[in-house]
Amino acid sequence: MIKIALPAGELRRPISQLLSQVGLDVPGYGEGSRSYRLSLDGRARVRVFRERDIPVQIALGQYHMGICGAAWVEEFLARNPRQEVVKLGSLPLAGPTLFLMAAPSTAQTLADLSRLAEPRIVTEFPHLAEALALALRLPRYRIIPVWGSAEAYPPEDADLALALASHEEEVVKRGLVPLLAVLEGPPVVIAHRQAIKALDMGWVLSALASLGLSSVPGMRLPASLGGLGLRPRPPAREREVLRVALPDGHQKPHVLGALAEAGLSFPGYAEGERRPLGPWDGIEAKVIRPQDMPQMVALGAFDLAFTGRDCFLEHIYRFPSSPVAVALDLGKGAFNMSAVVSVDLPVETMEEAISFWRREGRPLVRIASEFVAIADHYARSRHLWRYRVIPTAGASEGFVPEDADLLIEGTETGRTLAENRLKAIDVLFRSTTCVVVGRHTPTGRRGELLRLLLDSLRPVAVAGSATI
Amino acid sequence: MFLSLVCSPMEEPLRCPGMHDLLPEEMERFRQVEEVFRLTCREWGYQEVRTPTIEHLFLFTAAGTLSAQMLGRVYSFLDWDGWSGERVVLRPDSTIPVARLYIEHMMGAPLAKLFYVQNVFRFTEGEREEWQCGVELLGDTQPLGDVELVLLGREVLARLGLGALGVRLSHPGLVRAVLERTGLSAGEQLRLYDAILDGEQEALAQLRGRIPDLGPAVDLLLREEGQGANYVRNLRAAFAQALPEVARPLDELEALAETLEALGLVPTVTGAMVRNFEYYTGPVFQLLVGDVVVGGGGRYDALVEVLCGRQVPASGFALYMGRLLPLVTRPPVAAATVWVEPADGAAATVAAAFQAASALRERGLPAQVALARGVSWGGPRLLVGPQGMVAFGAGASAGQQVGSVDEALTVLSGGAEK
Repeated sequence: MIKIALPAGELRRPISQLLSQVGLDVPGYGEGSRSYRLSLDGRARVRVFRERDIPVQIALGQYHMGICGAAWVEEFLARNPRQEVVKLGSLPLAGPTLFLMAAPSTAQTLADLSRLAEPRIVTEFPHLAEALALALRLPRYRIIPVWGSAEAYPPEDADLALALASHEEEVVKRGLVPLLAVLEGPPVVIAHRQAIKALDMGWVLSALASLGLSSVPGMRLPASLGGLGLRPRPPAREREVLRVALPDGHQKPHVLGALAEAGLSFPGYAEGERRPLGPWDGIEAKVIRPQDMPQMVALGAFDLAFTGRDCFLEHIYRFPSSPVAVALDLGKGAFNMSAVVSVDLPVETMEEAISFWRREGRPLVRIASEFVAIADHYARSRHLWRYRVIPTAGASEGFVPEDADLLIEGTETGRTLAENRLKAIDVLFRSTTCVVVGRHTPTGRRGELLRLLLDSLRPVAVAGSATI
Repeated sequence: MFLSLVCSPMEEPLRCPGMHDLLPEEMERFRQVEEVFRLTCREWGYQEVRTPTIEHLFLFTAAGTLSAQMLGRVYSFLDWDGWSGERVVLRPDSTIPVARLYIEHMMGAPLAKLFYVQNVFRFTEGEREEWQCGVELLGDTQPLGDVELVLLGREVLARLGLGALGVRLSHPGLVRAVLERTGLSAGEQLRLYDAILDGEQEALAQLRGRIPDLGPAVDLLLREEGQGANYVRNLRAAFAQALPEVARPLDELEALAETLEALGLVPTVTGAMVRNFEYYTGPVFQLLVGDVVVGGGGRYDALVEVLCGRQVPASGFALYMGRLLPLVTRPPVAAATVWVEPADGAAATVAAAFQAASALRERGLPAQVALARGVSWGGPRLLVGPQGMVAFGAGASAGQQVGSVDEALTVLSGGAEK
């Protein structure tokens, strides 16, 4: 039986409709079923993944065929060009375009980039950004990978953003200039090379072909800007305002609660403003993803940020010398970061699981996690011997047992685990909302404001949990 | 059972793809090449350096360093310090790191004559780690520097006992002049050039179609080879009018070819030769043993300027260990060793055996204690027991009781090859 990976999110409905047109009905898919395991006519097993996970699953051979956005396929292939992923064609659907964009004060055209001494490119697509920087032959550049909201960073926190938008006008509406359309295209059908050679996939391929698959456009790389020698790093400018990063998503209610308890107000934050006002003069705030905060604080873009301990540890395990630290633990939004296995595995602890896998002679332990560095650190320190971390973009529950042996996952009540026939056998740490700051304390008015903010938050914090 | 996975033969090797173990016999030849290379370089006045395995990626990404194709095959990553978003790389090339070393430690010296033996890492289908014996000459040395590098490389090869030595010369300015006429983007020019070097006829036809005014002479430049300065002069006659940009490259080639000819060495000259290195600005050369290209290099006058803004002419070459090792015969075994065998496992006997081996080595006779029982060895041996020592000459079945290490030495050195 062949295995097919389909995308979650906005693509669900249009892809479901398209598949139905050619007799490929996946009950539950278009309606957004919460189940991760679906069936196609009893002839194929279907799993729903976040788009960015799909090329990984196909490359590993865990799924034979998949559909996802062209940019995610190219992002994967840019880093892993030799992988066993074959592009079969684009679906007749509208797709977003990947734009290189800049703030109007930074650049109006691509040629203006030659003026930048050390361009910082912020993106969800770091490997495509790398390919772009190399094609332009930027002499010294930095890629800042983020989990989302790349367009929120220029001009203060990055010079350029590489991000998806439906069209040029949408980029302009975000206050940025589209410099180059790097990749455009509808969702792409991909397959595992060996699966195509060996499995009976003709019935599904011919159904898809009847939709009129078109050729997959590759990345449009610009010519070199030419002759840009290395320039000395410009001296860092001392900022006068104190910059605070506030989280969106699931951390937001916890942070709003803590701020209210501390008597601090960031007008506009609760209402969803990207750049809320600060509680006092001299404070500037911006809303970004909590996953991206430790790096942005380390880079000096923000002085203080509210993020989860999970995001902090993910960063610090990857970059132990990063100049960022936890100043306060607000104790809110608590959950366990756990090691999770199938309920069918006859073990209760991690030690027993390791012994079990060794007795079985398993050559490789597959670990799926959204937190690659935490999972890697755990596997190393628990001596799992040969293991592979499969990066996921969330919703890892569906990976075990077919596609992974172990999950490193945030668990709250245990209900989701039970629903997916999983159990936790170890707790790595308890994650809570934390305040993180740079290791180098700012001076002057900025330093004073930082102290005031921390003093206001301290009564809300968990006692004795100042640093990790 | 789990550990047996490590010890039993596996379908998938335990070493990483493209990585190569050097076994004792190969290592002996490796050291032979390295020692001959080091000795020759030092006699020619060069000094040895070694650069770190990990460098900043940005050193290699500016225009005029490595080609985009080569950059697509480097091992780059964010290291544990990489929170700033700057990547590092396992050095894919040694010339750029040595230029960086020169800038950081020797800038201002009128002349730096440097050599190194180190590995480079590139993601390819075959070997991904390649050892190189390289030489870099930084300072205003031209045109003598080019001549010296060719001769130095040949001398190393000759001292290794290799025959049928050849030199092939070219100049990147020739191909650049032709490709720039096509009006293609830099990336397309490189792809076309690679296809031509790979021998694709269609690529050459495409090139001809784009620059019809140069006519069939393009084939001569890109596909043919000729001998020495005469061929350079013929190329000049064929291209001087239609492609005046080739005048300077041809002048530089002619000067080098003429000097080599005066030394009795007629080089082969070709229009298209090296790829993947944007930094070459002047004559480039390959060193051959028969048909095998065992080394190559050339002039890179603009690289130091790209890296630090100051102009310093430079040139260099590297010998490729992977190509040389199969051509080099195994060096003669330096010394057969005396085996010192403790007669039993008692601490005093074992200690006496180690002391005897040490005393023999002090007297100039290589000696080692026989660690494993039941191993059959040739050559002389010394049996050390509680009752004294018995020395056996090489191949002798009967031993001779000896009272001291000096007495043993007389018996053993009769059999031990020095």
